[in-house]
Amino acid sequence: MNPLDEPGRASRTTDPCVLVIFGATGDLTGRKLVPAIYQLGREGLLPSNFACVGFARRPKTDEQFRDELKEDISTYSRTKPIDETFWQSFKEQIFYHRSDFDDDKGYQDLAHKLMQIDSRLGTRGNRIFYLSVPPKYFPQIIEKLHKFNLIYKVGADEERWSRVIIEKPFGHDLASSADLQEDIEKYLHESQTYRIDHYLGKETVQNLLVFRFANSIFESIWNNKYIDHVQITVAEEIGIGTRGAFFEEEGILRDVVQNHMMQLVSLVAMEPPVNLGATAVRDEKVKVLQSIRPFVQNDFDQHIIRGQYGSGYINGESVIGYQQEANVNPNSTIETYVAMRLFIDNWRWASVPFYLRAGKRLPKRATEIAITFKDAPGFLFNNQGRKIDPNVLAIRIQPNEGIALKINCKIPGPSSPIQPVKMDFRYGSYFGQSPPEAYERLIWDSMLGDNTLFARSDEVASSWKILTPVLEYWAANRPAFPNYSAGTWGPTEADRMIANNGRIWRIL
Amino acid sequence: MTTQQIVPPAQIESELLRIWDSLDQTRQMRASLFNLIVFNELSTRTDYIRNIVQKIIDTFPCRVLFVSHDPDPSKHYLKTAVSVIASKGTGSNVCDDIDIGVAGSEWERVPYVILPHLLPDLPVYLLWAEDPSHTHPLFQPLAKLSTRIIFDSESADHLTSFAQTLLNLKEQKGQDIADLNWARLEGWRDLLASTFDSKERIKDLNEIDELTITYNGRETEFFCHLKIQAMYLLALVSSRLGWSFQTFEKKKNHFHFSFDQSIRAKIESSFIQELPPGSILSMKISTKGQSHYHFAINPQQPHQATVNITMHDRCELPYRFILRKSLMGQSLVREIFLKGTSSFFVETLHQLQILDRETIC
Repeated sequence: MNPLDEPGRASRTTDPCVLVIFGATGDLTGRKLVPAIYQLGREGLLPSNFACVGFARRPKTDEQFRDELKEDISTYSRTKPIDETFWQSFKEQIFYHRSDFDDDKGYQDLAHKLMQIDSRLGTRGNRIFYLSVPPKYFPQIIEKLHKFNLIYKVGADEERWSRVIIEKPFGHDLASSADLQEDIEKYLHESQTYRIDHYLGKETVQNLLVFRFANSIFESIWNNKYIDHVQITVAEEIGIGTRGAFFEEEGILRDVVQNHMMQLVSLVAMEPPVNLGATAVRDEKVKVLQSIRPFVQNDFDQHIIRGQYGSGYINGESVIGYQQEANVNPNSTIETYVAMRLFIDNWRWASVPFYLRAGKRLPKRATEIAITFKDAPGFLFNNQGRKIDPNVLAIRIQPNEGIALKINCKIPGPSSPIQPVKMDFRYGSYFGQSPPEAYERLIWDSMLGDNTLFARSDEVASSWKILTPVLEYWAANRPAFPNYSAGTWGPTEADRMIANNGRIWRIL
Repeated sequence: MTTQQIVPPAQIESELLRIWDSLDQTRQMRASLFNLIVFNELSTRTDYIRNIVQKIIDTFPCRVLFVSHDPDPSKHYLKTAVSVIASKGTGSNVCDDIDIGVAGSEWERVPYVILPHLLPDLPVYLLWAEDPSHTHPLFQPLAKLSTRIIFDSESADHLTSFAQTLLNLKEQKGQDIADLNWARLEGWRDLLASTFDSKERIKDLNEIDELTITYNGRETEFFCHLKIQAMYLLALVSSRLGWSFQTFEKKKNHFHFSFDQSIRAKIESSFIQELPPGSILSMKISTKGQSHYHFAINPQQPHQATVNITMHDRCELPYRFILRKSLMGQSLVREIFLKGTSSFFVETLHQLQILDRETIC
C-alpha cells in the first residue's frame, strides 16, 4: 500500500502503462476512446508515463494517425476546442502500428515497439489491450498476444501487469458466449478480463448504488411491499444509420437488452453488497440475474413483444422504415424494438413485474428507470371513484441526467383537487458541468485495475441464459414486420401487454 | 413574454433552452403543472382560444402545445415556433409555448411533433376547440395522448350530436371529458345546490311546476350558439329531478318544454351588453305550493346573483350570492383540475339529447 495515499482522500493513482487499441481506425476509437483518453490526460488522470498505440490493418504513419485523432478529438470531445498546449505534448505519446490481426510478425513487431516505448517513456511493461474489433477476432488476438508474451500470467510477475478490455457483444447466445469464454480463459485470468458495457460507466448508473445505499429513505421502501412495478426504457430516436449489416446480425435484444438493460436491472434490484469492491458488487448483481424467472412458452407470445419500425416521422421529418435502410434485408425479421415483463423470484421482488422496453426510432432519446410505487391505502383522496396517481421515482440515465419524484399535491384553495407534481434534480443544473463520458471512467478504472464496473463472465452467462430461449423462439416463428411507425412508442401489442396487467407505459 | 422564434421541430427543445438561458438573470421561474395541447382551426376564434389559454396560464403554469390547423385546401405546410409566456398572476412564473401551424396533408406529422415534447409524469390535457362530432384526422391521435379532453360546445353545430359524441367518448372509450360551457355554469350549479339545502326547500324542488331561464342573447363574433348554457341548466335540473320530457314548442324567441306532472319550462333571451354572451341572466322557479324563487345576475356586478324567495305564507329577505370564479378561464381551470368526469355532466348530456331533439342549439 502506498504510505502517502490516504484512503478516501487522495485521488487514486494509476501505474505507468501502454494502452494498445485494436481496431484503431474504427468508428469507436475516433468517437469515444480517443476523446476519453484525451479528457483523462487533460484532467491529469493519466499516468505521466503513458502511451497509446493504435493497432490496425490500414497503412499509416504515426503523424497521420495523430492528425486523424486530433480531428476526432476536435469533433467528439465533450470539451471544445481542443487544448493545443496539452495536445502538443500528448500527441508525442501516441503511436500507430500496422498489422493484420492474424499476422505473427505484426505481434512480434508490436512486442518490440512496446519495449521501445517502455524504455523511452518509462511505461514499465504494463499493458492494456483494448479489443475494439468484431467479436470473431477476440480469440485470435488474445491467442497471439499470449503467444508473443504480451499477456502475463497472473501472479508470475509482480512488477508488471497486462489487462484486456473486450467490447460487446460477448457472444451471440448462451452457447457462443460459453465458447468464447472457453477460448479466452485459456490465456486470460478473469481478473485480467474487462468486459466493457459502457452503460456501467455512466455517472447516473454509478449513482444508482449511491442513491440506493447512501439514502436510508429509499432503501427502506425498495421492495415488493411498496413498489408496484419497475419500468426500464432505453429509447433512441435514431435509426440504424450505417450499422445495417451489424444490426442484421444482432437485433436490439442482443445489442441493448442482453447487456445494458440487464445491467440496469441488476443494479436496481441487487441487495446491498458487503463492500464496494468488485467481487462483492458483482456477486450481488449476478444473484439478481440468477433469480430472474425463466421464460416459459406462454411468455414468448404474451409477455415478450418484438417490433420493427416502418416509415414514419421523427421530429416532423419523414424517415424510412428499417427494411429500407442501407445494408438491410428488405424482408428482414430483425427486431428494432422489444418489450418484456420479467419477474425476479426473491424475497425483495416477489410478484413485482419489471417491464423493459428498448427501441430504435422512438419519439425521443431517453434512458430511464422508473419505480412506480403502490397506491396509498384508503380512499381519503379518491375523487369520484378515481384513484390518484401513484408516486413515481424516475431515474434519468440520459439525457438530462437526474432524478425526479412524482408526488401528489393539493392545489391551493378552499376545495381540494389533487394534482401530481414533480420534484426534479438535474445533474447539469446542480453541479454545473457535463458529466464525464462513460468511457473515461471505464478506461481509467482499467488502468487502476478496478473491474467493478465491468461485466464478469457469470453475469454475461446468466444474462444469455435468460434471453437465449427468446432468441430461439423468435428464430422459429416469423413475425409480421414492420409493426410500428417510426416516431411512435412502439407496437400496439406492447401497449396491450402492459395494459393486460392494468398498467401503462410511461410517456417520456 | 418573448417573441415567437420559428424553428424546425428538431430544434424546439434547444431553442427553448436558449431562450431560458437568455432569461437567466430575470428571476423568472420556468414552471409547468401539466401539458396543455390546444387544437383549433385557424380562424377569428383563434385569438379567443389564445385568450382562454392565457387565463389558464395565469392560474396554473403549463407547457402549451398550440396547434392551429389552416383549413385552406390550397396550402400545405408545417411550421413550428417557440416562445415563453408569463403568467399575469404571479409574474415570476413563466412557461413554454410551442406553436404548431399546419395545413393540408401535413397534419399527419403533428402527433409526431408533439410526442417528444410532452413533459413526463405530468397530466396531458387536450383543449379541442372544434366540434368533436365532425371527424377530424387529428382528433384520435391527440385524444390517445390525453388524460382529459376539454371541449367547447360553442363550436358545435348541433348540441345533440355534440352530446352524443362526448357520451361515446366517455362511455365507450372511458375518456375523461369536460365542456367549457358546462364549466361556465359552475356558479349557477353552486347557487341552486346551496339554495335548495333544507328539507323544506327540497320539498319545493320536487313540487316545481314552472321554470323560466333567461340567457343573454348578445351575439358576438365568437359566440353565436347562445342558448347552450340555458339548455345545459334546464337539462341539469330536469335530469336531477327525474322529469320526463313530453313536448317542445317554439313561440317567437321563446322555447317551451313540457314534462310529466304538468311541469312547464321556458327558455327566453334578453340582451345585456355588459354581460357575457349566452350567460344565464336569471332563473325563476314556481312551485305547486305557491313558492317562488327568483335568481338574477346583477349586470353591474356580474359575479353576484340576487336571490328572492317568496313562500305562500312569507317573504324572505333578498340576499346576494357570489358566483365563484365565473370569470372566463377561471371556471375552465377549475374544471381541468377536478379530476374525472362529473357524473352530473354525463346525466346532463343524456338529458340534452332528449331536450334538443328539435336541434334548437
